[in-house]
Amino acid sequence: MSQVFHDIEKKIINSLKNNPKQTPESLEKSTKLSPDQIRRGIEWLKLKELAIIDESKTSFISLGKNGIESLQKGLPERRLLNFLKDGPKKLSELQKELGYIFGPAMGLARKNNWVQASSEEISIQNFPSELPGEKTLKKISNNKISLNEIDKNDLLGLMKRPDFIIEDIITTKEITLTDSAKLLEISNFSGAIDVEAKVPQVFVAKTHPLKDTINEIREIFVTLGFSEIIGNMTQSSFWNFDALFTPQDHPARELQDTFYLDGISAKKIANFEQIKKVSESHKKNWHYHWDINEARKMVLRTHTTCVTIKHLAENRLDEARVFSLGRVFRNEKVSYKHLVEFNQIEGVVVGKDATLRNLMGIQREFYKRIGITKIKFWPTFFPYTEPSLQTMVYNERLGKWIELFGMGIFRPEVTKPLGISKPVLAWGGGIERIAMLKYELDDVREFYNNNLNWLRSATKCQ
Amino acid sequence: MPVVELSYSNLQKLIGKVTKKQISDSLPFLGLDVESEDNDLVRIEYSPNRPDYSTNFGIALGLEGLLGIKTGAIKLNIKKSNKYRISVKPSVSKIRPFVTGIVAKNGKIDDKIIKQLMVMQEDLHFGIGRKRKKSSIGIHDLDKITFPLVYTTTNRNHKFVPLNSDAEISISEILNTVNVGKEYGSLLGNSSQVPIILDTNQKTISFPPIINANTTTVTTKTKNLFVEVTGINKEDAEDMLSVIATILQSAGFTLENVQIFGLKNSSPKFEQKKISVNPNLANQTLGLDLSTSKIISCLKKSRLGAVSKGKNILCTIPAYRFDIFGSMDLVEEIALGYGIQNLEPTFSPSQTIGQTNPVSNKLKSLDQIMIGLGYLEALNSSLTSKRVLYDMTGRNPSKILSVLDSKSQEHTILRNSILPELLENLSRNIHESYPQKLFETGSVFSLDDPISEKINFSGISTHKDANFTEIKSILQSALKIGFGIDLETKATSDSLFEEGRCATVIVNSKPIGVIGEINSKVIENYKIQSKVVGFEISLSDFIFKSS
Repeated sequence: MSQVFHDIEKKIINSLKNNPKQTPESLEKSTKLSPDQIRRGIEWLKLKELAIIDESKTSFISLGKNGIESLQKGLPERRLLNFLKDGPKKLSELQKELGYIFGPAMGLARKNNWVQASSEEISIQNFPSELPGEKTLKKISNNKISLNEIDKNDLLGLMKRPDFIIEDIITTKEITLTDSAKLLEISNFSGAIDVEAKVPQVFVAKTHPLKDTINEIREIFVTLGFSEIIGNMTQSSFWNFDALFTPQDHPARELQDTFYLDGISAKKIANFEQIKKVSESHKKNWHYHWDINEARKMVLRTHTTCVTIKHLAENRLDEARVFSLGRVFRNEKVSYKHLVEFNQIEGVVVGKDATLRNLMGIQREFYKRIGITKIKFWPTFFPYTEPSLQTMVYNERLGKWIELFGMGIFRPEVTKPLGISKPVLAWGGGIERIAMLKYELDDVREFYNNNLNWLRSATKCQ
Repeated sequence: MPVVELSYSNLQKLIGKVTKKQISDSLPFLGLDVESEDNDLVRIEYSPNRPDYSTNFGIALGLEGLLGIKTGAIKLNIKKSNKYRISVKPSVSKIRPFVTGIVAKNGKIDDKIIKQLMVMQEDLHFGIGRKRKKSSIGIHDLDKITFPLVYTTTNRNHKFVPLNSDAEISISEILNTVNVGKEYGSLLGNSSQVPIILDTNQKTISFPPIINANTTTVTTKTKNLFVEVTGINKEDAEDMLSVIATILQSAGFTLENVQIFGLKNSSPKFEQKKISVNPNLANQTLGLDLSTSKIISCLKKSRLGAVSKGKNILCTIPAYRFDIFGSMDLVEEIALGYGIQNLEPTFSPSQTIGQTNPVSNKLKSLDQIMIGLGYLEALNSSLTSKRVLYDMTGRNPSKILSVLDSKSQEHTILRNSILPELLENLSRNIHESYPQKLFETGSVFSLDDPISEKINFSGISTHKDANFTEIKSILQSALKIGFGIDLETKATSDSLFEEGRCATVIVNSKPIGVIGEINSKVIENYKIQSKVVGFEISLSDFIFKSS
């Protein structure tokens, strides 16, 4: 079956058979097609390997504002020399005559020894009949001229001067047929289209891939019976650290790990009872002077646990499954592994089923639902849970075990001062890590680059 | 988390009958993360609450327990002696009131042990020592010291030869010129008097918490050690000393006690703590049904002493395990002794009905509407820079919310607007095909006793024909279809937008945001090649009224 061509393609091929080397502009004239039709036709033929597009770039130059002025009145240095023709002049006379061009004109003339300056006067010396640049000025005149036609040495001086020369780079395209296209027999039958031809990609608007992962994780926890709570990203140190049994002199609380808001402290952080009991627990267990002003300092939350613990302290529930999901912050150097701001999911279970094995079971169920079945648990340490575990998941692509969520049971030193009487299972972890596995990314920064190429092409259903 | 390098063959020598594989399989279940492995060497991360794991000796003690080779609490055997005394002068009370110490004799000291002791010392300084502020350690060659010692203060002109030096220099010079002096000198404040340990011949032994004297440097020729710990809190200093004593004993040294007099000081007792744990608490917490005797054996595997006492189990906790506060810590020790790998996950169905937060629901609907309108979702950081928010856009930089000491220049202030970040996104995509249409919903921040967080919604569109009508249609449709809300626009001026092409967005007679064609100078700053239109409104003001 012979190849089917669009009418546009036929016209272009026929024109190129008559006249083998053409620009898009000449094709417009010969085919009477619009510029857009020509552009599309050439692209189609190129995709079918029937046309070759040779792009070449040519520099064109024209005169800028100062160039035009010099063309009309002469270069500043020429005007200086002209003025001195009738004899030496005083500096002040020159300044008056030449105005703002005096500086550059004088500079050039003295550098080239065209003039001599005594204490009183400026006088003329030997100078060439044609000054550097004058030839080029005349040559360009009021036109746009290809750089190739110009004496480059003479041009150089002008290029360095402000607003003398404007350079435009113009891309020209030359279209020729490939050898196979030259042999084509074009049928004049009109109406058929090339249904086998490649078509352009249309970009689909969609939610951000990371948001998709967040939504997926949210949905899993809701189906597991958890309710979502939300809270502020800016928190007092009291809820971010003190309430979670992190002593005020703990390294994690230092500026180099945590973002403190410059000069901002909260007046009201918690109720009297909460502050009293939390500070007592610190004094008793960590032996130091607890300072309420330290607890008032506002930080960007380092975990969403501050939101959950506040919720539990305020509601003192005997039975609950809640989670919070959102941005958390660490003062880190940004790298392919670390961001200063990332998303965390964090959940708790309060109630009679709150056992470590059940906590592990919830994790296993969650991982199963995001497609991860090879998991194991290792002991670890967190300041506010005891016992504490972390999940390790096996990643086939990377061929290694990766650390995901951390978990544990809130320490009595955390729950008791806040009046929480039942055991609380807690777990949490970064969402970007899971999204990296899902989208097979090795650089976590990609999620926040908003690179359209990636956003448009990342597969939606994974 | 701190990292330590271990040698498998060395661990095997310390533990006895054990294979390399048994060790590498067991390390994670002591709570140690293997970071990298290279034949005999393995680098592991350990928790800051277990400084005893900073040496081969400490890890060997843990592995012996977990593998069932040696179990139960480690006892310190300290020979009573009257030879080693430190008297404390009252002048230290205001600056660093406590000192404690121990003597360790007849150990084999080679380069490897010296290196391990230094790693442990630095880890203790950094962790429980809080960068030497709370407590700090000096390790000395015992045989270079003539007891009794005196812990006192001296002025800053006092001279001695510090560690790694051969010249006598003054305390002031040490604090101004030697690295450790510059780093930790601030701990001494402006006090004219500084702590010092002198021997009976008035020879300087140590200048805590900064540096030891050169004369007592520990080398491979050293046979006997003297360790002193000074600090601002007696318990912390003794905790630190107990870790060192335990490690030195397991490294083969014989310990002898040091007597301390004066002020509120006393000789260290290395007292074991007694805490009892109820087997029911352990079983309920872990979800197991273990017998009392099984629980006791688990505790012993975690190198604790345990005996049954009535309904409870009474545990003996060596002094170096100061990470154990109460019975819940013992439950964790039971879990570790039982073996985390032996804990089978269980799944109990939920008794509660889960639900998403209404705010998340509304935002998700808005996302869908914007997608229908052809807008791609962008995600930007809340923490951004003055360059993006103000310098590039000509917006007025008032009441900036900055964070302190950010390690990244691109993340120094909290955003009060999303639109500048979307413009920044466009500028990084000028080579991609047009039209480009982006939207984002997210938190913005402003000062308000102390800080108000609101949710904003912003959209941006760029292509050669982009104009006000287009973007107003988009916002109008999004609000109408999303929330049944009608908007009005009223002419205004704003530095981000082109004069005469900018309006305040009004809903229910209240201004909620701004919309318009982006100022051509801003577009030029970003080197964007075509026209840009955009809007930003606050959703908190009318959709999430309660938040």
